Amino acid sequence: MVKDGEILVFADFNLYSKDAVFKCLYWFGDKFHTGVSFIDSNTYCISLRPLSIANVNSDDLELYLQKLERDLIDYQLRDTIARETQNIRDLLVAKAFSNGEFDEDPPGDVSDPVGFNPNLASV
Amino acid sequence: MIESTVDRKTRKFRELNFYDQQEENQYFLLPFRFHRLNDAKEVLVNEVGDHLVASAGTVQLLVSKQLSKIEYPELYGDLIANFFISEEQIPPLIDLYATRYRTKKSFLDGFTSLHIFVISLRCEHTCHYCQVSRVTQDKGTFDMSLEHIDKGIDLMMRSPSQFLTMEFQGGEALLAFDNIVYAVTRAKELAPAFGKEINYVICTNLALINEEMLGFCKENSILISSSLDGPSYVHNQNRHRPEKNSYEMTVKGIELSREILGKDRVSALMTTSNLSLEYPVEIVEEYYNQGFRSIFLRPISPYGFAVKNERKNKYETEKFLSFYKKAFARILEYNFSGEFFSEDYATIILRKILTPFPVGYVDLNSPTGAITNVIVFNYDGSVYASDESRMLAEMKDYTFKLGHLDTHSYEEIFYGEQAQKIVQVGTNESLPGCSDCAFQSYCGADPIHNYATQGDMIGYRPTSSFCHKNMEIIRYLIELMDSDKNIEQIFQSWVKQRT
Repeated sequence: MVKDGEILVFADFNLYSKDAVFKCLYWFGDKFHTGVSFIDSNTYCISLRPLSIANVNSDDLELYLQKLERDLIDYQLRDTIARETQNIRDLLVAKAFSNGEFDEDPPGDVSDPVGFNPNLASV
Repeated sequence: MIESTVDRKTRKFRELNFYDQQEENQYFLLPFRFHRLNDAKEVLVNEVGDHLVASAGTVQLLVSKQLSKIEYPELYGDLIANFFISEEQIPPLIDLYATRYRTKKSFLDGFTSLHIFVISLRCEHTCHYCQVSRVTQDKGTFDMSLEHIDKGIDLMMRSPSQFLTMEFQGGEALLAFDNIVYAVTRAKELAPAFGKEINYVICTNLALINEEMLGFCKENSILISSSLDGPSYVHNQNRHRPEKNSYEMTVKGIELSREILGKDRVSALMTTSNLSLEYPVEIVEEYYNQGFRSIFLRPISPYGFAVKNERKNKYETEKFLSFYKKAFARILEYNFSGEFFSEDYATIILRKILTPFPVGYVDLNSPTGAITNVIVFNYDGSVYASDESRMLAEMKDYTFKLGHLDTHSYEEIFYGEQAQKIVQVGTNESLPGCSDCAFQSYCGADPIHNYATQGDMIGYRPTSSFCHKNMEIIRYLIELMDSDKNIEQIFQSWVKQRT
């Protein structure tokens, strides 16, 4: 909601991670004083108060509220992706910068339909 | 025996259902990032820079594991094929994927390849945006000494890279042409013993070029990189000479250079000034009329007039982006009428988007191209992390000075404490604001720009002109490709190597 020239958003702690909330608010720091607090054990209170030098009109606050709500969802999605894929990303980078010693052969044998056996040729 | 024949493993194509690895409609996410392109579309980019433009809401559907293979067969297939999701926890082709990642970072293999020698700080121009040059006859103070040239070449020969570029900059490099002759001759003598292949480039305003100099350039396959800011009314305002004839001398120099060296051995760079911002179309047309088939719409340099002023930077970036898009529209018009004409900054980014290969462009590398790709030997023997670093030094800020040719070893300069500090904060995979950015693999990290404009090397993305400019240009290029397949074809022609 927009109240007294300030944007206030309440977010469920069980739905939004702390990382997602802070990464989202990072991008509002050029125009707003940003604040995060708990109003109870399950709810964040997120506030955005326009910086005096930022020239944010009161009419714009509704648009920024919409952007904040949308960005919170996007950053929660990013957080979910990052958490779910952290191990595979580490594995990918480790393999990329290894010297191939951990690479596995592709599954199956190389077939030899025309009588040229590439496995033998490489010996 | 019959059974073993049936079970024999083969790499021939199997029936379609053999490749369906999905169990109970389950799939696993692979690392990717996304960005809202506009209200209707979002773009997904995987770890090696493959991108997929999809309807808004696709990521939400994907992450909540509700994307059905039956309902969205084409999208699902694209997501599997491009490593956004996998039906197995570890994708079967992970080694292939890792190889692609390694290829994207292969610009690191050769370490420093571009060696800039500031052969003289003297210049006969007084360009208002130049913070560096001196109008003086004092060769002793402002020309690089032969001793420092020797030491710079010795360090260059120690680069792990087989392929090197030795670039002579100024001031006006041709004011010290004798030293260029000395440097090229010595580097050529030493190169075979160190197994190096060296490209030579002279950056010059061409006012002093003559047939004798060009004869030497031809003999030694030296490229000429000149400066052309646009039509005479822009160029002569930007690049002051007492005679007010910089444009005329540049154009004459380009013609003479092309005549002796060949058209493809002469390039031109423009610098965008406040005045240039008013003439986007005219600048593009000037390049076209001068026979160039590409232009590098270079952003305004933050060194000098906009340093450490975040709000002004943002305003300047907005103006530059507007200029860029107007100029870009004119460039596309040439292409639509059947003429090849490319924009170099877009081409660098498009190579990252459309090809599996890295681009060795210093400003858009991660880890940063400073030190790992480029080094600057200044006229006085000081060694800097990049061209911009020595410009800061001319403003009495020596943060990016890595050492001196007289007193520091190769190891101290390239692997020293200062070098490590710079490179450590020059990796956008781990920078705030960049680590989650969909355009991470198309962009780079520029700690020197961050320092110059924001006062610290890590920087703050919401007010960063570097971030603002690159985010918008990348978004714009992807949106253009998505909106018109003919534009994508044009872009494909830009990224192909032209012979």
